[in-house]
Amino acid sequence: MLQLLDVNKSFLNGACPVIKQMNLHLNPGDFCVVIGSNGSGKSTLMKLISGEYIPTQGRIMMQGKSITSHDVASVIQDVNKGTIVEMTLLENIAFSLSRVKKRGFSLYSRQKNTVIQQLKALNIGLEQYINTPLRHLSGGQRQMVATMMALISQPKLLLLDEHTSAIDPSMQKTLMAYTQRSIQQQNLTSLMITHHLDDAIQYGNRLIMLHKGAIVLDVSHQEKAALSVTKLLDLFHYHEHLDLVGRV
Amino acid sequence: MTLDFFYTGLLQSLILALVAYAIMIPFRLLNFSDLTAEGAYPLGGAVCTTLLLLKMHPILALLIASVASGLMGVATSLIHLRLKVNTLLAGIILSTMMYSVNLRLMGKPNIALFNTSSVFSQTNILYNIGLLVCVLLFLILVLSLFLRTEFGLKLRAVGLNPAFACQQNISVVQYTMLSMFFAGCCTGLAGGLIVQLQHYMDVGMGVGIVIHALAALMIGEAIVGNNTLNNQIIAPCMGALVYQQIQGVVLSIGLAPSDLKFFTGALVLVVIAMQRNRQLEL
Repeated sequence: MLQLLDVNKSFLNGACPVIKQMNLHLNPGDFCVVIGSNGSGKSTLMKLISGEYIPTQGRIMMQGKSITSHDVASVIQDVNKGTIVEMTLLENIAFSLSRVKKRGFSLYSRQKNTVIQQLKALNIGLEQYINTPLRHLSGGQRQMVATMMALISQPKLLLLDEHTSAIDPSMQKTLMAYTQRSIQQQNLTSLMITHHLDDAIQYGNRLIMLHKGAIVLDVSHQEKAALSVTKLLDLFHYHEHLDLVGRV
Repeated sequence: MTLDFFYTGLLQSLILALVAYAIMIPFRLLNFSDLTAEGAYPLGGAVCTTLLLLKMHPILALLIASVASGLMGVATSLIHLRLKVNTLLAGIILSTMMYSVNLRLMGKPNIALFNTSSVFSQTNILYNIGLLVCVLLFLILVLSLFLRTEFGLKLRAVGLNPAFACQQNISVVQYTMLSMFFAGCCTGLAGGLIVQLQHYMDVGMGVGIVIHALAALMIGEAIVGNNTLNNQIIAPCMGALVYQQIQGVVLSIGLAPSDLKFFTGALVLVVIAMQRNRQLEL
């Protein structure tokens, strides 16, 4: 499980506090969606959890130990940073598999059948591009590959940072369905950032709203199940004077 | 052009191919512009010469020369990674330092090797060509297999997307050092081989070797491309063979040897311009 204990993050020697005294506890299988307006601290929170930033104060724990980059897999908006676009699809996926199995000097082409099976399971025809460099695939296909790479590396925590924001709506649905299915299958703890309130309500089983670096609303799995979509929307709009993009 | 002239060119091109690999590995695989070869090549030659004069077995002398140059590659990567010195500058600094080291090793600027053993035959040029072809094929095989392992995949990832590789818990420092060691070994081996082939070592023999190897690499890439792993592996060898023959042709039709470096530089620029045009057309 993921625990944030009194986490603070500030820049410019404390002059610019971004995350304030944050406490958060996520259980295995939690798909927590974080929403908030620009500058609310969402991305800083992700970077703290992924290890890119070090907390100014407080601790971030994973299963009772300080979190390390081994525990986390991230999928970010810029797919060029989250994959190796010059390598083929097979090489990218084999690269992620090698992170788990660590077989060193075995040939990655041995993974070909495994990779094809996994691509076929996606049911979007990616298997035909197995020997194609990723730069020749569409943005949506690449993002699908990036998500797949993050999931097959068997992390303890999956971070999704607006990973569907640059792709078309139909691919967004396919990608989110795949992400949600895999998270459930692996009983994975996940944290997703989005600007879209409807996505948050549709996919998350725990919803958190950030405002000026603090959690202003935390809707648990049970509370979410008990409330209608309209009620949830009202709740969120009430708690911030927001500039969120609601599309419901 | 006589057959002997062709064979001599072929021998030199096979040795140059080793240096072309030493340029390709950091340049293409690691995205690490490197001039270490300028110092690692004579270092390999100087170490090999010193050991041959000490009556060491020529194969052992080659191995030690390779490792010495490999360590120079590691030193370049450490200067860049730890002291954050630009890669080119790191190579230049070390190459300059190696000039003094080589002079110390040799005791004088040039040495003719009489009565020393060599892996090459003094009479059978075809044997020498066969030997170098075997060395080169072995290198290509090792490189080709290695880059297709999961270890090799991680190494390529370090060059193509270091930030992502770092995020995946791959040690950029270790993989860079390993690659630079391998590249240095190739250069050192080439330096040792040329000394044993020519029975002569000059402390200034590394001057211009990078541009020659780069020309070979560029020509190879212009012929076979560099868009796939296979092409990347074949290009240095192919380029070295063609480049050395081009050199032979231009010398035989009257180009002064003193103009050769100008010709090489111009050739590199022409090939780069051709590749640029080809990219724009695509």
